[in-house]
Amino acid sequence: MEERYVVLPFYGLWKMFQDIITIFANSEARGYLFQGFWHTLVITVVAAMIGLVLGFIVALVKIAATQSKLMKIPGVICNIYTTVIRGTPVALQLVLMCTAIFAIRGFTPYAAVLTFGINSGAYVSENIRAGIYSVDKGQLEAGRALGLSWGKSMVKIVMPQAIKNIIPAIGNEMIALLKETSIIQMVGSTIGALTFDLNVASTTIYYSKNIPVNSYVTCAIVAGVMYLVVVYAMVLIIKLIERRLRKSER
Amino acid sequence: MKDNFEIKEKFDESYLLKVSGLFKKFDKLDVLKGISCEVKKGEKIVVIGPSGSGKSTFLRCMNLLETPTFGEIWFEGKLLTPVDPYLHKTIIRKSKTYNKILTELLTANPDKSAEDFDEEIIERIKKEDLLKKNEGSTFNKSVKELYNQFFQNINVTRQKIGMVFQHFNLFNNLTVMGNMTLAPVKLKLKTKEEAEKRAIELLKRIGLEDKANVYPSTLSGGQKQRIAIVRALMMEPDVMLFDEPTSALDPEMVGEVLELMKELADTGMTMVVVTHEMGFAKEVASRVLFVDEGIIKEEAPPKEFFANPKNERLKEFLSKVLI
Ligand SMILES: Nc1ncnc2c1ncn2[C@@H]1O[C@H](COP(=O)(O)OP(=O)(O)OP(=O)(O)O)[C@@H](O)[C@H]1O
Ligand SMILES: [Mg+2]
Repeated sequence: MEERYVVLPFYGLWKMFQDIITIFANSEARGYLFQGFWHTLVITVVAAMIGLVLGFIVALVKIAATQSKLMKIPGVICNIYTTVIRGTPVALQLVLMCTAIFAIRGFTPYAAVLTFGINSGAYVSENIRAGIYSVDKGQLEAGRALGLSWGKSMVKIVMPQAIKNIIPAIGNEMIALLKETSIIQMVGSTIGALTFDLNVASTTIYYSKNIPVNSYVTCAIVAGVMYLVVVYAMVLIIKLIERRLRKSER
Repeated sequence: MKDNFEIKEKFDESYLLKVSGLFKKFDKLDVLKGISCEVKKGEKIVVIGPSGSGKSTFLRCMNLLETPTFGEIWFEGKLLTPVDPYLHKTIIRKSKTYNKILTELLTANPDKSAEDFDEEIIERIKKEDLLKKNEGSTFNKSVKELYNQFFQNINVTRQKIGMVFQHFNLFNNLTVMGNMTLAPVKLKLKTKEEAEKRAIELLKRIGLEDKANVYPSTLSGGQKQRIAIVRALMMEPDVMLFDEPTSALDPEMVGEVLELMKELADTGMTMVVVTHEMGFAKEVASRVLFVDEGIIKEEAPPKEFFANPKNERLKEFLSKVLI
């Protein structure tokens, strides 16, 4: 009895170790992992681009809405956008986009990427808005008092200061986005399609008859470590940018 | 149409800056309740008053950092705000409302003439705010035309109105040199070389030429404020507005900033200064205004203002600050 307590955990670890060897020795498994890794990257990068552009525009519209009457209605639309997107589960948005709004055969992966982009944009816009508001109001006023237009003052004075506060928050959002993309399996998991991401790859490896692994956990851990590698790379990039920005202050 | 409203005649060119009937509301809070003030070229106006009385708001309305609720602001013959029809008797007299009331009064009193009722009707129209409700499109068009005739883009006007803030507001993302050259270069008033040359000249004048390439975070308060002043001078303004320029400074740094302001005054610069520095007011001001509860309660040359205050609130205020 006592022996089993001691032996069992190590036995489990040993099995996992075996599985890891199996996975990396098996060319089919490596293929799945590589494809999944690549697709996850593509989905994240494209969604992030959409999110950043959208978030930037929405943030500017919201701020401009406080400045001019002309932007009032666009401002209201943007408020509805951020409220609805941040207020509902992304899984619901994904299913809705892929099965109702873009129920077009073959378009599902793109609709999914678009969903992630739109979802991310709502969070990014709030990050940017908060970053801009964190800059002392006097900075904009000093620019305006010198005769610079609102746009010029924003671009030359406010934005360069806001970006220091925005970058860490956006970095966080990008990391969250990367992991969020794993729910793409809800709308498809066909090998070769863009929806075949790192998360789907790990399940596929487990169920494949040609890859004799003992437990699903190992497959998930292998995929998890690959997520971790990407996240760590992102963290390094964010730190690099932050350091660059800080340098220009001294 | 043009000869209908001869406002140009009414605008006296000898004034650089003219504020008429200025009202400012923040939501429901009435901050300014009808301020009128004219600043001639070369004049130094010092504005004093208790905290919260609306001095900053008054100053900030002058370059439209705050939008006045009612009233007009004129600068160098240009209108910064929309036309306030109630300020122009000529406009009121041309309105349908005026003529309707006049006809009514004349039929009731056939023995009197139109001139007898003029003041009375104008007062009534102003008081009951009748123009907004009753006038049609021709009236609005005339007011608009007048506006277009004198209107100038605010960004152009602000180039000639320098402003110095209580908290300096130097651009944190730019060096001292960047702070000074950004606006003149971006607005194409100077080339980069010209601007830098001028900036060095000005920095030399205040003894800070060695700070040209440092960021504001490394400067003392007094240095920041003096640089904020020369940053405004880079635009070659015709008037300088100061909003409590020494209130955020440590006592030992107040002197250097006041000294620079006095030098500036000696060059003939037109200045409007909100301050609690009574010594500065006595020495430099051509006129001192006492703002309290949103209106100008007293206005006089400094000698008379301090030696012989008439308003009760001013007496009380002076007895507190002049200890
Ligand atoms: N942007 C704003 N929104 C709402 N209320 C405001 C705003 N700016 C000023 N006020 C209010 O208007 C009043 C006058 O403010 P103002 O800053 O003009 O006073 P002040 O005479 O400059 O006072 P101080 O000596 O403290 O600077 C105050 O009650 C203030 O709370
Ligand atoms: Mg103030």
